[in-house]
Amino acid sequence: MTEILERTRAYVRDNFLYMRPDFVLGDDDPLLAKGVIDSMGVMEVIGFLTSEFGIAVADEEVTEENLGSLSAIARFVTRKALKTEAA
Amino acid sequence: MCGIAGIARREPNGVNPDVLARMAGALRHRGPDGYGFYTSPRVGLAHVRLSIIDLARGAQPLSNEDGQVWIVYNGEVYNYRELRPALERHGHVFSTDSDTEVLVHAYEEWGTAMLGRLNGQFAFAIYDRRDESVFLARDRFGVRPLFYAQQGGALYFGSEVKALFATGEVDAAPDYAGIDEVFTLWAARPPRTPFRGVSALEPGCWAVWKDGALRVRRYYELEYPDAGEEPADALVQLDDLMRTGVDLRMRADVPVGGYLSGGLDSSITCALATASSPYQVRTFSVTFDDPRFDESAYQRAVAEQIRSRHAVQPIGEAAVADVFPDVVWHTETPLVRTAPAPMYLLSRLTRDAGIKVVLTGEGADELFLGYDLFKETVVREFCLRQPRSERRPRLFDRLYPYMGDGGKGEFWRRFFLQAGSPDDPLFSHLPRIQLTSRIKDFYAPAMRDALAGWNAEAALRDSLPPAFKRWSRLNRAAYLEMVTLLSPYLLSSQGDRMGMAHGIEGRFPFLDHRLFEFAAALPERSKLRGGRLREKDILRRWAGGIVPPMVRERSKQPYRAPDVPAFFAGERREYVEEALRAPSLEEAGIFDPGGVDGLVRRCRAGMATGARENQALVAVLSTQLWYHQFLGGRDGRASASPPLSLEGADVALFAESAVAQ
Repeated sequence: MTEILERTRAYVRDNFLYMRPDFVLGDDDPLLAKGVIDSMGVMEVIGFLTSEFGIAVADEEVTEENLGSLSAIARFVTRKALKTEAA
Repeated sequence: MCGIAGIARREPNGVNPDVLARMAGALRHRGPDGYGFYTSPRVGLAHVRLSIIDLARGAQPLSNEDGQVWIVYNGEVYNYRELRPALERHGHVFSTDSDTEVLVHAYEEWGTAMLGRLNGQFAFAIYDRRDESVFLARDRFGVRPLFYAQQGGALYFGSEVKALFATGEVDAAPDYAGIDEVFTLWAARPPRTPFRGVSALEPGCWAVWKDGALRVRRYYELEYPDAGEEPADALVQLDDLMRTGVDLRMRADVPVGGYLSGGLDSSITCALATASSPYQVRTFSVTFDDPRFDESAYQRAVAEQIRSRHAVQPIGEAAVADVFPDVVWHTETPLVRTAPAPMYLLSRLTRDAGIKVVLTGEGADELFLGYDLFKETVVREFCLRQPRSERRPRLFDRLYPYMGDGGKGEFWRRFFLQAGSPDDPLFSHLPRIQLTSRIKDFYAPAMRDALAGWNAEAALRDSLPPAFKRWSRLNRAAYLEMVTLLSPYLLSSQGDRMGMAHGIEGRFPFLDHRLFEFAAALPERSKLRGGRLREKDILRRWAGGIVPPMVRERSKQPYRAPDVPAFFAGERREYVEEALRAPSLEEAGIFDPGGVDGLVRRCRAGMATGARENQALVAVLSTQLWYHQFLGGRDGRASASPPLSLEGADVALFAESAVAQ
């Protein structure tokens, strides 16, 4: 899970925070409320999760609970990956 | 339509005609048909003319009977024929048939109170030799521009800022707060401009300069009275206002054409122009290669119905990039959208067709609540009243269908719900302000330092009139749209400047102040109606039979143009590369080279697809072009406009002290 979180953090840094190098992004910081990503950005993040971790994200899963912070994303991806393995 | 400029000195030391010739040269595009000068020991006036009314005798500067009152004037006063008999009854003798001369005598007769009698779009300067004063005025909604600066005891004024800088006597420097307003509200808010020490006379204001001091006063306030029921004869009133508003704006001694976007508003103005014109009306449209932006099917339907002679200007991505430096030169400001570029090309097409005057539909969305922002405001307030409702926020998914998947879902809804409280006076505009302000993430540290203690939102809150708090949420939104977007951005960067770049005068029937006052007094449900929030409802009800049903019933489509792809999808352009290089960025000191490097990388890779990065790219590029055109000196065009020759002027009256210099 830590690896997923760090790879996601690196992705978010490179693509959403490249213009704010001093920005400190905590694991539980809300990405939307902190102005890191918006709804278009979420689409990009989903594209990254799909290609990087091989998971599919359904429309109803695009929620703040699943994708609202780095740690939420890590939990979501881990859960999805486990489900995929179990299947 | 024309360009005006001038200098007023505290002491009678004269105004060098060569300086006026440079000012006029900088404005030549606004008035290619003629020019003139006047100087007294204290005051110099310059005028470049686009001749539209009284072609033979309308040259300026122009005076009253005894040469004591002189005017330079840009614009139109449509009710000049109605004003003239009253002035003649008071003994004024006219030597021309122009609206210009009506203003001179109106000033003599009524002083500053003359402004309340004018129906038009204008900016002018009147020099009164009797008390050595200069009277500047601008129309109610800011259709025509007027800038001024005070330096070394003198007043400098002109239709565009470049005329002030052409004197060599006005310092050119950035106003960081003005730039920050662009990246908050899309434009600096008058009187502020992006140039330090240069002010825009606010719409609905006049100023008098005397003895080296300038006094500014407002003569027209936007007001939104408490509305009751829609008047029983509202459609009759609207019909009269629309038809007389267009008839007045067809007054010209040259043919009047129309810009036709394919939306409801310009379809109405073009249709009424046809009914009012002795000629077959010519209509002009932009079409886009990108079908997401294109409205040509609607344009063709209207052109066929009104039997206009229709011409189109196709816009591809390359076209925007081709003209963008010229667009910035004419707008004189950093931008957050490329949308002015197609308007620049449209005015060129119009000029090449031999038309100088066009009616356009601007103003209807502000008067009749046409923009999506108004619906968004209603939905946000509706949702915030019951914050636990899960169903209500789903309304956001229907607001912006053209946004695709990014325009729906929980993140989209939460953005609106978190944007701010209904108690905030700026409630309606907070989502736009917050989205636009993401541009500031790219600021250089020096820019952040320069802005210490400044807050563009707070400054806007502080500027609101006392009546604002009594108005409804939607009327507040309409007011904010009028003062922050319509006048300083739409009428300027997309309006006056893009038209006048090619000597095209836009006329705005929806910005007849009588129509504004009628619309402001209507109940909101006459404008934004029912559960489906049908925008411009009363206008649609009235427009049956005037425009084709497919246009009457269509939803508002925002006018947009390509941005990032315009500069990165096709051939590499040296000016883009140069503007975004680190040394060029460091010299301007506004944007951080590291952040811009990341942005450029994502633009090149085709990854910058969201609104945030698109607007950031346009902001950085336009700011860099603007800075180096006006302030940095890398772009030499500021010194490239030749002065006009004094010998070729239609009017050249120079005081002895001036000629002696």
